Amino acid sequence: MSFEMWTEKYRPQSLDEMVNQKEIVERLESFVDARNIPHCIFAGPPGTGKTTAALCLAHDLYGDGWREHLLELNASDERGINVVRETVKTFARTRSIGEIPFKIMILDEADNMTGDAQQALRRTMERFTETCRFILICNYSGKIIEPIQSRCAPFRFSHLRREDHDDYLQSIIKKENVKMSHGGLEAIFEICEGDLRKAINTLQAAASLRREIDTETVYSVVGRANPADVQEMMKLAMKGDFIEARKRLRDMIVRYGVAGSDIIRQIHIEIFRSALPDKWKIKLADVIGEIDFRMTQGASEEVQLSALLARLGEAGHEIERGS
Amino acid sequence: MYTAWTVKHKPHSLPEVVGNSNAIQKLSKWVKSWEKGVPKKRAAFLYGPPGVGKTVSVETLANDFSMELVERNASDYRTAEAVEKFAGLASQYGTLYGRRRLILLDEMDGITGTADRGGVRAAIQVIKEARCPVVLVANNAYDPRFSTLRRYCLLIEFTKPTVLQIIKHLKTICEHEGIEADDQVLKFIADRSGRDVRSAVNDLQALAQGRKRLAYEDASWLAERDRKEAIFKVLQTIFYSGDVWEAKRALDAADVDPDMLFEWIYENVPRHFTDPHDLANAMDALSLADVYRGRIRSTQDWSLLKYVFDFMTAGVAVARERSKLGGWIPFRFPERIRIMGQTKGLRAMQSSIGMRIKRRCHISSVRAIREVIPYLQIIFESNAEMAAGLSRWLDLDEDMVNYLAGGEKQASAIMKRMG
Repeated sequence: MSFEMWTEKYRPQSLDEMVNQKEIVERLESFVDARNIPHCIFAGPPGTGKTTAALCLAHDLYGDGWREHLLELNASDERGINVVRETVKTFARTRSIGEIPFKIMILDEADNMTGDAQQALRRTMERFTETCRFILICNYSGKIIEPIQSRCAPFRFSHLRREDHDDYLQSIIKKENVKMSHGGLEAIFEICEGDLRKAINTLQAAASLRREIDTETVYSVVGRANPADVQEMMKLAMKGDFIEARKRLRDMIVRYGVAGSDIIRQIHIEIFRSALPDKWKIKLADVIGEIDFRMTQGASEEVQLSALLARLGEAGHEIERGS
Repeated sequence: MYTAWTVKHKPHSLPEVVGNSNAIQKLSKWVKSWEKGVPKKRAAFLYGPPGVGKTVSVETLANDFSMELVERNASDYRTAEAVEKFAGLASQYGTLYGRRRLILLDEMDGITGTADRGGVRAAIQVIKEARCPVVLVANNAYDPRFSTLRRYCLLIEFTKPTVLQIIKHLKTICEHEGIEADDQVLKFIADRSGRDVRSAVNDLQALAQGRKRLAYEDASWLAERDRKEAIFKVLQTIFYSGDVWEAKRALDAADVDPDMLFEWIYENVPRHFTDPHDLANAMDALSLADVYRGRIRSTQDWSLLKYVFDFMTAGVAVARERSKLGGWIPFRFPERIRIMGQTKGLRAMQSSIGMRIKRRCHISSVRAIREVIPYLQIIFESNAEMAAGLSRWLDLDEDMVNYLAGGEKQASAIMKRMG
């Protein structure tokens, strides 16, 4: 048995090991050949290889000592303007030793940076282009301010295709001697929707149970890792018990750290699986979409989602009255 | 015998007055200028918020310059005779004994309505004929009623002293009274007064008289009560007035922290908006308020704050259409804040494990908490060997292993394998 998180153990080290995002990898390899890169934005859903691509690019560009030419910052942990002023600037302005005259700065989860910090970053990017190239990584490039976007080469990462996903997991399964039924692999893909980090974590947790991984095992692992009983919460809301429904929601978010985006995705799925009149499914899809959007803009996921619960309560009430 | 400390510890000379040294200097200079003959402006108009020392400055100034102070306030401005008699006093150069006079017309704001319109005219009359300094005092010199009057006056603004100046004053009083008081409690009293010296001294007396020591705990209950009362009042208006303007004003009028108020509204809306349609609309208003909070957070553009207020007050107020007005429903303390307090230890643990994961896994600690810890928990609960390896790899300490394993027994099995 291995003693690392498999997500790290099996993270590709160089661009040619990446299984997906073929077009992107090709362009990045051409940067390596030219021994020069522009500022970049890597945008796309989680677990699709953005950070990996950035690390691989650095590895291929600098060779063995690549870590010395690289600074990785995560905007979710260090999102303020002071980080840009101090850490980023200090790193960016000093010249790199070696044949490549610039360093690489990876700013992960850059969509979580404040507007101020982004403005400061924009100037830093301009001033120190000679000595430092930036790779901004984010889920939505729309949250990056326009002036930064226009200075960067954009790369759009997409969900993994089924074959790529299966190939990658198969290679891990072989190396780790995991027993896996065909249904198990399919279940992982279905649940993780091409998010490779989630898929590999699910695989490792399932493997830790030391039995053959079948559909049932996968669902029980994912169920335990995502304790949110969204269905029950929705039932309470539609019955008119808003206060109890909100309490459940709060537990999911505060105690279990479930992401609001995961909760709303599940609500969306449940609405269409439910026995509600079709007319209402569409009405509610509109409400869900609106709240989903507001969540990306707002300050509190709980407030946004409980506004959605209140709408479900209103819908439940009106369906009951037969309108 | 009960003596108000505001009287007992009144300043006796100008340097003892709290704050406003510029205004006081301007005033003394003007009074001194009378020694060289009647100046262009025969009256000074002191204005500023209550309790900042306008009247007391005039009184101590008269004392310092040994002038005779002739004082009138609102109630005296009403009758014609009183005004005439008064004008007579002012028109004389000095007293029989050679002491100079200082005329003080206090509480000019007290002249109200049409019945008193003569009052302002009378004051102008007094000033016109004055042969000695006339000082007027009001909260707002820019009230339209005073527009003519202002032309005859030297305007001197009094502003609120700083909290520090008030604390210093309270300290002096405590020394005189032989009370040992914490800095913290004096700061609390000063803050609570809204920088009104008079009200601060009154509060100090109410809390400290008869004591040898005054600690923060002796006063903190006041803070809690103030906050709650202020918040209840705002909630009541927002939930039941049904009026956009009143709801908006309620927030302006109350000195409560908007973030805290948001939590109170968010907690209590479902208990007071019983109709599902109303509740959905009220929650929608809070959702929009929250969107603007988010935009402020990401843009740091605080001018958007007014929209947050619009939605959390007026937006909620207009949502009431069908909900019945039941009896009195008590307001509840925000559960969300209580839970955040209770789960503080839990979240600190998650966050420190998140930091360890971050060091190894190229993801933020926030994301690690959501996306890695749940899987680690499964592994730690079911596979001690893998858990031990991961603990070493992530450099977890015993508490962290305990947390992830979810039980002492499993945790010690893991620790044993770690060696």
